[in-house]
Amino acid sequence: MIKLVWLVPLLPLIGFIIIGLFGKKLSKGIVGIIGSGAVLGAFAIALGIFFELKGSVQKEHTIDLFNWISAGKLSIPFSFLIDPLSSLFLLIITGIGFLIHVYSTGYMSHDEGFFRFFAYLNLFIFFMLLLVLGSNYLIMFVGWEGVGLCSYLLIGFWFKNTAYNNAAKKAFIMNRVGDLGFLLGIILIFVTFGSIGYHDVFEQAKNMASGNATLTAIALLLFVGAMGKSAQLPLYTWLPDAMAGPTPVSALIHAATMVTAGIYMIARSNILYTLSPDAMNVVAIIGVCTALFAATIGLAQNDIKKVLAYSTVSQLGYMFLALGVGAYTGAVFHVMTHAFFKALLFLGAGSVIHAMSGEQDIRKMGGLKKYISTTHITFLLGTLAIAGCFPFSGFFSKDEILAHAWEHNKLLWFLGILGAAMTTFYMFRLYFLTFHGKFRGTHEQEHHLHESPKSMTIPLIVLAILSVVGGLIGIPEALHGTHYLEEFLSPVFESSSFRLVHHLSHETEYLLMGMATLVMIVAIYFAHSIYVKKNTVPAAEGEELQPLHKLVYNKYWIDELYESLITKPLNLISEAFYKLVDNQIVDGIVNGVGSLITWLSSVLRLAQTGNIGFYVFVMVISIVLILFTQLF
Amino acid sequence: MKALILLSSLGVIALLAEIFSFKKLLYPIVLLGLITTFVLNMFDWDTNKLYFKMMQFDNYAVAFTAVILVVAFLWFIMAEGFFKEESNLTDHFALVLFALVGAVMMVSYTNMAMLFLGIEILSIPMYILAGSNKTDVSSNEAAFKYLIMGAFATGFLLFGIALVYGATGSFDLSEIAAAVSGGTALSSIFYVGVLLMLVGMAFKVSAAPFHFWAPDVYQGAPTVVTAFMATIVKTAAFAAFLRLFSTTFSGVSETWMQTVWVMAALTLLVGNITAVMQTSTKRMLAYSSVAHAGYMLLALLAANNYSNSAILYYASAYSIGSIATFAIVNIISDAKNSDGVDAFNGLSKTNPMLAIVMTIALLSLAGIPPTAGFFAKYFIFTSAFMAGNIGLVLIAIIASLIGVYYYFRLIIAMYFKESDGQTIAVESNHKIVLVIIAIAIVALGLFPDYIIGLL
Repeated sequence: MIKLVWLVPLLPLIGFIIIGLFGKKLSKGIVGIIGSGAVLGAFAIALGIFFELKGSVQKEHTIDLFNWISAGKLSIPFSFLIDPLSSLFLLIITGIGFLIHVYSTGYMSHDEGFFRFFAYLNLFIFFMLLLVLGSNYLIMFVGWEGVGLCSYLLIGFWFKNTAYNNAAKKAFIMNRVGDLGFLLGIILIFVTFGSIGYHDVFEQAKNMASGNATLTAIALLLFVGAMGKSAQLPLYTWLPDAMAGPTPVSALIHAATMVTAGIYMIARSNILYTLSPDAMNVVAIIGVCTALFAATIGLAQNDIKKVLAYSTVSQLGYMFLALGVGAYTGAVFHVMTHAFFKALLFLGAGSVIHAMSGEQDIRKMGGLKKYISTTHITFLLGTLAIAGCFPFSGFFSKDEILAHAWEHNKLLWFLGILGAAMTTFYMFRLYFLTFHGKFRGTHEQEHHLHESPKSMTIPLIVLAILSVVGGLIGIPEALHGTHYLEEFLSPVFESSSFRLVHHLSHETEYLLMGMATLVMIVAIYFAHSIYVKKNTVPAAEGEELQPLHKLVYNKYWIDELYESLITKPLNLISEAFYKLVDNQIVDGIVNGVGSLITWLSSVLRLAQTGNIGFYVFVMVISIVLILFTQLF
Repeated sequence: MKALILLSSLGVIALLAEIFSFKKLLYPIVLLGLITTFVLNMFDWDTNKLYFKMMQFDNYAVAFTAVILVVAFLWFIMAEGFFKEESNLTDHFALVLFALVGAVMMVSYTNMAMLFLGIEILSIPMYILAGSNKTDVSSNEAAFKYLIMGAFATGFLLFGIALVYGATGSFDLSEIAAAVSGGTALSSIFYVGVLLMLVGMAFKVSAAPFHFWAPDVYQGAPTVVTAFMATIVKTAAFAAFLRLFSTTFSGVSETWMQTVWVMAALTLLVGNITAVMQTSTKRMLAYSSVAHAGYMLLALLAANNYSNSAILYYASAYSIGSIATFAIVNIISDAKNSDGVDAFNGLSKTNPMLAIVMTIALLSLAGIPPTAGFFAKYFIFTSAFMAGNIGLVLIAIIASLIGVYYYFRLIIAMYFKESDGQTIAVESNHKIVLVIIAIAIVALGLFPDYIIGLL
């Protein structure tokens, strides 16, 4: 199976080509089957690879496909790396990807751009697979840029809406800022190690001293790339706006897969980070700040998708916190569980929006549990999972992260648990406002309420099951379980793990788990008493808010800050350059040269008198000049 | 040598056709003869035969002969109308064929006597052909100017040959080269001789400031004759120029390098700049032809191993591009009685095929990838750059930027101006050849190695 790995990205690519070229002529059913089938095929192979890898002793396979670039001393093969980390990501991408494809056949069934949507989705899966499969940084970069492109295309999928187009542009441009860091990091890696293949780089890096300045620089540059793609402070503002895309896109790209590319990259390069403690600290601090910051914004949002978007930013922050404190397995674990429950929540939100005829404002929902019970139950399970309720998946992964944070620095733990409390609160606020109480929408919407078709509910159920039991593959020792994931991933983090020894007594772990659960219960209680018992509904648009509430509701005016600090000055400079440099200087030079040549031409033309006497005269003069200058 | 004999025989057959009245058959005979000549010429490849210490068919000679024959074949097809008039038909054939004989001699001589003979055998038919449109005053004027100026230049060339002979005691190129590198001081008349020969050759390739004849003659002569002069004559003249100066006189390069440098710069600037203001396409192409001589002078100046193949490639690319443009100008001006840029307005609507071929040819002349013209310039510039002539390369790049302006003026006229709606009838054999030329231009640009690797 491992030999067949090239088929994994190839299948979605073929799907993209077929749908992209002929999709217009095919029926929606066939487009859906091709699109989903391609991903299902990839998933089947990925599953085969996973089990083969699990059974075999050799945990690292490099599959050389062809020689890609060779110029000077730079030689880059196009080859894939199969190891536990990449095979796990293959499963997440193709598995969740397949479910979301199926969901989309229902969700997008009325859209005229149906085939275009599936073409983009398949292309996205292709690039994402390339990103995790490549055996060197350049292939990762190709995938990295490719998913950025697909994200742009899908956010602006309804391109007739200017606001959506702007959101797409924002995502693309902000990602480019991060990409620059990533690219510089790759270049620095090449300069330092003379190669960009993972194997060569990590083997050499292992023998370097901890705290090496170059390593730290590389790690920080790569992290800048991760900040952009994984929406960390200060490059996070594109992700909430990215909710302009169709909901399955939000689920697949902006929650489950693409945004985790940054985590994958750092987990892949773990040795570089382990050897640069300063960079690790930066990652941890940015991570926890993002987790907390986004959680506070999530408290006051009223758009169902925006709440989930900020919760994604916040959860990504936890993953970076994990990476920063050396809990690489924890980060990957959380990527996985988060992929389950966040995809579930987004698809559930999609189902709600579908039922509400496109309404996304939770102030206009309420009491939906009567009408859409499947969606309701699955959504509740997802909410419990993200809140970290025992024994749902989120509990184990979040617990692992917080335990490592405690060990590293108590403050990090405290901030982390504060964020977790807010997460629980805003998620339950969302849940209660949507599904409990009285219906607050229009009469027409109420009349129209209906459960989504099977193609949408079945993925919800599958994801709900995964969200519930997904955590069982990583039960900590303290609970007398086996951490299968840690075992499986251990070869990848081998060189890092003996440098980062963990020792936390079981008693402390129980204490931490108890604290987390207590905090969660308190948060649920508050949410329940405010939004169910008192039936509070968030203030309507335009109502005067408390200063603090207003600050959070307006997302700390960060977008406005960026607008006036960066966008506006850039536009001003651009305009100045356009008016002065381009219009006056550049155009002036160009037009001036043009006029000069035309003038010269009209003068030189006069030399061509047509008079032979003159021609001969010039010849003779020239000959005299030549002889004179050359011989005397 | 086979090419030389066969072409001469074809010329004689053309004369006999008048007497034995098989005039009608002459056109196919000549075309077939050219193909045969081309094939037989290829058998001389790698033989490197020396004939009587007068001519040597080395690969240089064979390759240039081949280029000349291919261009002549294309030219014959495009110039079919030129061979349809009843009177003087056989004369036209014979003159062109003998001119080709002269061209072959010019690319293969090893003796200055043969050089002179070749030049004269080529030039005298051209004087007559330039005036072949006997009722047209400007054609007469062109012939007359060409003859007088040509005779003047030949005088200098002959004087130069005489002086070189006087200094070295030989007409043979290898003996002269031996004398140059012999170490014994040469008489000063030798240097005067070299410079006078340089002047003679510069006139033939229409390098400034000896280019004044070219625009007038090119415009006055019938368009097909102009096409012949701009392609075959120029290719042969450059081959002869390079053969003499890159080997025999390379030992005294300090005598003539500076002059060639100045001539190249002048030719590039004068040719390209003056072309900008021309309203007649024929005259514009005449100046463009002058300008292209400037680019080829760059390779002469470089005079390294690279420059032979660079000139061969440039001459091929330039010649087939020019044949196409002149052929289309001929078709348009015949149909519209005007060779102004306006005559091309809206050609893309009325005759899209002509417009596309013309565009490809013009892009090639302007040096835009992926056409042959781009690599032609690239190779020339590289060879000059490697020889250290960075300043001249800069001038050449500026000159080719100016060139883009006037070539694109025609393209803009064809695509963005309103036409008068008149569709021009094009004979099918012309169409076929034009398409073949267009394909060849692109193919040469995509696979330049096939020519550049020859020498």
